[in-house]
Amino acid sequence: MKVVKKIFSSKSIVTLAWIIGIMLIWEIAALYIEQIKRTPENVLPHISQIIESIFSDKMVSNNQTALQIVLVNAKDTLLRAGTGFIIGMACGFILALIMELSGIVEKMIFPYLMALQMIPILGMAPIVLAITHDISTSRIVIAAILTFYPVATNTLAGFKAVEREKRELMYSYSASRFDIYIKTLIPSCIPYFFTGLKISAPMAITASILVDTLQGDGGLGCMLSQSLKHAMSIYVFWQIVIFSAVVGILSFYLMGIIEKIVSPHYHKKKAKAGE
Amino acid sequence: MHNKDNNTEIMLNQIGMVYNSNGKDVTALTNVTLDIQKGEFISLLGPSGCGKTTLLRIIADLLKPTSGEITVGGESPKEARLKRRYGIVFQSPVLYDWRTVRKNIQLPLEIMKVKKSEYDERVESMLDLVGLSKFGDHYPKELSGGMQQRVGIARALAIRPEILLMDEPFSALDEFTREKLHDDLLKIWSKTNKTVVFVTHNISEAVYLSDRVCVLSPHPGRLSAVVDINLPRPRSKEMRSSVEFNQLVTTVRNSFEGV
Repeated sequence: MKVVKKIFSSKSIVTLAWIIGIMLIWEIAALYIEQIKRTPENVLPHISQIIESIFSDKMVSNNQTALQIVLVNAKDTLLRAGTGFIIGMACGFILALIMELSGIVEKMIFPYLMALQMIPILGMAPIVLAITHDISTSRIVIAAILTFYPVATNTLAGFKAVEREKRELMYSYSASRFDIYIKTLIPSCIPYFFTGLKISAPMAITASILVDTLQGDGGLGCMLSQSLKHAMSIYVFWQIVIFSAVVGILSFYLMGIIEKIVSPHYHKKKAKAGE
Repeated sequence: MHNKDNNTEIMLNQIGMVYNSNGKDVTALTNVTLDIQKGEFISLLGPSGCGKTTLLRIIADLLKPTSGEITVGGESPKEARLKRRYGIVFQSPVLYDWRTVRKNIQLPLEIMKVKKSEYDERVESMLDLVGLSKFGDHYPKELSGGMQQRVGIARALAIRPEILLMDEPFSALDEFTREKLHDDLLKIWSKTNKTVVFVTHNISEAVYLSDRVCVLSPHPGRLSAVVDINLPRPRSKEMRSSVEFNQLVTTVRNSFEGV
């Protein structure tokens, strides 16, 4: 019994069960779709068909296989998402810092932040494009805007969560404002900052793909919409779906790994060192 | 004016503290007059609401009294704070998770711009003082509650203050750990000759540790008695069950008014 319990409580087993579960549901649905649709691959192909298309060397356009199209365009999209993510991260952190420094700024800016977050990306994209005059830049800007909000709010929450005693301790040392931030407030908010990053990393990628669909000039979203309009093999679409899901999850875990490198004390267990 | 002799570390004269809470004036402290001698171990004892922590915070310049005068080391609390005349220990250890024990103790030295070359020596001597030499490279999370609080004490003493302010430092610990820390603290105190102001709501703790126990009664917070503890030093476990000890506990308990 104990062994069984241990196996089921293991994290990797849970993940595995999850993946198998999704694949099972997918396959059952695909079998059903196969019965009722004339072109089932447009609705839901079998997983084996998608995997086959990944390894197929059939050219689907411009002498490229489906996989080549995905990877070449992924480079564009991820580069834009990554650039936007880094800019958004920096702006979010700096804004949180400014809001922490000044309560008035916080009260003034916060409602705008909320409003900015409420505008749908598809509504924001044409506006940003009109301002930047460049589709590539506007994709970066939108990824940045989406990254920005979770980072700013979480980091600000991190500043607010610093115990009163820590501030008082710094006061008792007559610490300078600079030291208070460098030694206490900024290190304290790092876990919150990373929570923000974990939320926004997949969002930046999703947003980047979504904004790609609005105009040409390459990118996963472009290929996605072309594929959906049957300008090229539908398997490009399916590969992009799988690819972006995987990259989205990986980006989340990447933030976790970076966090562990930045703050090694989180590895440490609550040990019983004894008196 | 109060008679000011050279041996006074902290002088409180007619200290009063009135808070404004929802438009109503609440008197937290009234008319507290007390001289704390250099090198003395003094406890501020009382139930919650008696203003003992408020009094400590006034000494630490974390609060300004609304009336009365106070000097710390002959100066205003603010000047004393700027000169780092006191170290403070809170109820929770308030350690920095991301710093090792060594770096936690080093923190005030960094802020005081102590020379880097002096860090190691001073931190080592503090670790030694609190008996944590082996744990310098551990993170706070890896330590027990009692050890964490000892790090807190080491950090407070690292700035070499004349005064150690302690705000219910052991109240979150279990009885056994607390009693051990009492002896540890007394040992540290006898080695360093600091003036200690110790806030607590535990009567036997106050009696065991102190030279004098200041009994504060609530509503409004006021100093209702100062009890001299004439038990010999060093204090020991056996004393806790002695007749004299228990008489003093009774005396202190009977000094409360309106609880």
